[in-house]
Amino acid sequence: MPNQHNNNPPLAVTGIGAACGAGFGKAALKGALFGSRNLFSYLERPGRQSGASEAPFIGIELPEAPPTILPQRIDRTVGLSGRVAVSVLDEAWHEANLDGIDPKRIGLIVGGAGLNSREQAIAATSYSERPAFIPPRYGHVFLDTDVGAICTSAFPIRGFCRTVGAASASGLVATLQAMQAVRCGQVDVCIALGALQDLSLFDLQSMRAMGAMGSERYSAAPRKASRPMSQDHDGFIYGEACAALVIERLDTKRQHYGILAGGAQSVDGNRGPEPNSEAQQKVAHTALQQAGLQAGDIDYVNGHATGTPLGDKTELETYKELGLNKAWINTTKSILGHGLSSAGAIELAAVFLQMREGQLHPCNNIDPALDPTLKWVGSAPQPHKIQNALKFSFGFGGINTALVLKAPSSEDLA
Amino acid sequence: MGSNKIFQVLINEIRLTIPELADHPIARNDAMADLGVNSMERGEILIATLEAINLEIPMTQLHGPSNLGELADLIHAKSAQQ
Repeated sequence: MPNQHNNNPPLAVTGIGAACGAGFGKAALKGALFGSRNLFSYLERPGRQSGASEAPFIGIELPEAPPTILPQRIDRTVGLSGRVAVSVLDEAWHEANLDGIDPKRIGLIVGGAGLNSREQAIAATSYSERPAFIPPRYGHVFLDTDVGAICTSAFPIRGFCRTVGAASASGLVATLQAMQAVRCGQVDVCIALGALQDLSLFDLQSMRAMGAMGSERYSAAPRKASRPMSQDHDGFIYGEACAALVIERLDTKRQHYGILAGGAQSVDGNRGPEPNSEAQQKVAHTALQQAGLQAGDIDYVNGHATGTPLGDKTELETYKELGLNKAWINTTKSILGHGLSSAGAIELAAVFLQMREGQLHPCNNIDPALDPTLKWVGSAPQPHKIQNALKFSFGFGGINTALVLKAPSSEDLA
Repeated sequence: MGSNKIFQVLINEIRLTIPELADHPIARNDAMADLGVNSMERGEILIATLEAINLEIPMTQLHGPSNLGELADLIHAKSAQQ
């Protein structure tokens, strides 16, 4: 499909909102990426405490959310994932200056499934002895669509709102679908939001049991537990996060973070967590082709890189088969943890912030590196002006996604 | 519990559900719809009131009243039957 990309209007990101363990807003995210504070500790939210005979769960939790713009009557019934989404969307909305846009030309895609399981578990326990008094609102808030419903009740978004589940690739799949919605003209502006995955004890315990989440190996040293692409990796470590990206057709007169130049999603037929390098390479090739680039043009890779032994090994094979040996690589989950539904979105935000900063964030705990032949960013920030970036996200259920991003060109804003 | 006490419980639950009505006077001849309570919130207020007075009856038995005073009377009558 030569020149296929020429038929597609370039898409730009004009606003970003973010929340991570370091706090709310992009400034906090930037501080987390380039500062030296290690955010990992023990999980303390109600509904996440392990039994007395089990090691406590390690991860990162958000500080208290700032007051929302929601009316009090709605605010009092909004859960963590919805509350954080409103805050993050507010930041992205105002940066992109969407107040003047026709609401019918704005869409929202929320990425994530099973978003509120911790609060649902707490409510189910609380009402188990008195089911007659379960508040009626649980009849609609148990659906993942509630996060988007809260957002669209607070912001003038009247084009469409939908919720897409793609496991840990949800944030990137939301972005791919938002790109498609703008490209085909369904809306002029589409916001992709990777929602906060509010994990319950049940989720944490089962992901530890399946070997995906870190074991008890680092339970006495939480700051060392998240170590993607290290020989000593032991599974992923959870980190609460949420991010929103405003996507529009490129207008060179408007400030933007960069271009979404190509993207692809595939499914490889694995029901469970097994990764598939061949499928990973395929989505990268498709995304590169759409962007009109070769793998050798990529100068920075932001991988999925969770820290699970098989996941890391398979992804390394993908990097090498694609020939990404000359690109800088770092591991955002070593700093922010793994947000599952939010991971792709918060990591995309991290790519754009690094692009704008002209430097790459360090990797925590990568030594000894699983593959020292690749060009890893070390324990200090690395000055580098990203031109062409490749971002991967993968999800349980055989989901593979890749996105190619280009830096704003020097002709923009000319 | 008398109808007036049940009316006070209803007012309390209305103000917990809709904090915006905290300082708004609420009388027995007010209907919830007139106070701006939507149907979802009405259900929340009714269930919370029944829980507060520990009365388990199907919600369908609370259809009919045209204002809060009549609703308090009806809940009072239902609780007297239990």
